Amino acid sequence: MRIPSWSRLSPEFRAGAREGFRTYLPLSIGLIPWALVTGVAMRGIGLSAVESMGMNLLVFAGAAQLGTLPLIAGGAPVWVILATALALNLRFVIFSAAIARYLQEHRTSLRWLMGHLLTDGVFAISMGPMLRQENRDWRLGFYLAPSAWGWLLWQVFALVGVLFAGLIPRGWSLEFMATIALMTILLPMARARPMLLAALAGGGVAVALHALPLRLGLFVGILAGIAAGMLAEGRAGPATAGESR
Amino acid sequence: MDAGLPYAGAALWLLFIAIGVATTVPRASFIVLGSRAALPAVVQRALRYAPAAALAAVVAPDIFVSGGAPVILSPRVGAAAAVVIVCLRWQNPWLPFIAGMATLWGLRLVLS
Repeated sequence: MRIPSWSRLSPEFRAGAREGFRTYLPLSIGLIPWALVTGVAMRGIGLSAVESMGMNLLVFAGAAQLGTLPLIAGGAPVWVILATALALNLRFVIFSAAIARYLQEHRTSLRWLMGHLLTDGVFAISMGPMLRQENRDWRLGFYLAPSAWGWLLWQVFALVGVLFAGLIPRGWSLEFMATIALMTILLPMARARPMLLAALAGGGVAVALHALPLRLGLFVGILAGIAAGMLAEGRAGPATAGESR
Repeated sequence: MDAGLPYAGAALWLLFIAIGVATTVPRASFIVLGSRAALPAVVQRALRYAPAAALAAVVAPDIFVSGGAPVILSPRVGAAAAVVIVCLRWQNPWLPFIAGMATLWGLRLVLS
């Protein structure tokens, strides 16, 4: 894809890009510890520096990377690894559906790129301003600038983690930082009651069935969690089963 | 090089590509398809709970399984509790890592 020079982009695109970047900048700092931890964790399971950065470029998703690393290290079957990666990414189907109407009228290749770059943070800042702005170039700028910035931060700090992972002694148990990173996305989600029950069921079943071969306990745990969340929502009624209250 | 890994060489790279597809396709889905497609309500509801269920199913055994057996009290459980408390009270992105690792190391020192 050819990238035109900044001064030749439409003023609307540039205004949107500036606004999006400014809005996202403080939030984007939160990516740094995550990226560092992901870099260290990839080296931690025994990937080489090249393999680690290869994974980081091919899989642009902290949760999917950290979540599948122990499965790769443990030799889980491919379908369990992919099912786990899919489950960890499914929230983005909903984000994608919500933001799609603001990103239409662009080339398909550009829409694939925008999809690839979709993250929680950019989604969170985009929905409000996109609703208010009619201009499609402005929206494109508002979406692409912070997305590209987030991508860059992610790659750079993952690389820092990858390069310096070897200096950290094993006894420090830095792999636990991956667990902490995943907890920091889980906890804000679990504020709504059905979501909390989904998490408790998923976690509880996974612990209870941890001895099952092929990491099947994880898979059964995910299904149990989804079922528990839907049951809880059905009982509470859809009106009270909002996202976060 | 990575003698200890069950997946190596081409198999490892293919696996990365497959995980990459499983990551990009859900994100690109509706942005690429556009408004031509819509999700049935039941599927939307189920999808809402998948991330929380999957995250918990990944994280819980790391915290509550030690040496092949479930545990209720351990340095990891204490560290996880510290992370929960910090996340509920503050928004700082570094604090959960600092508090969690400090608690883990502190409890190990005290208990050893």
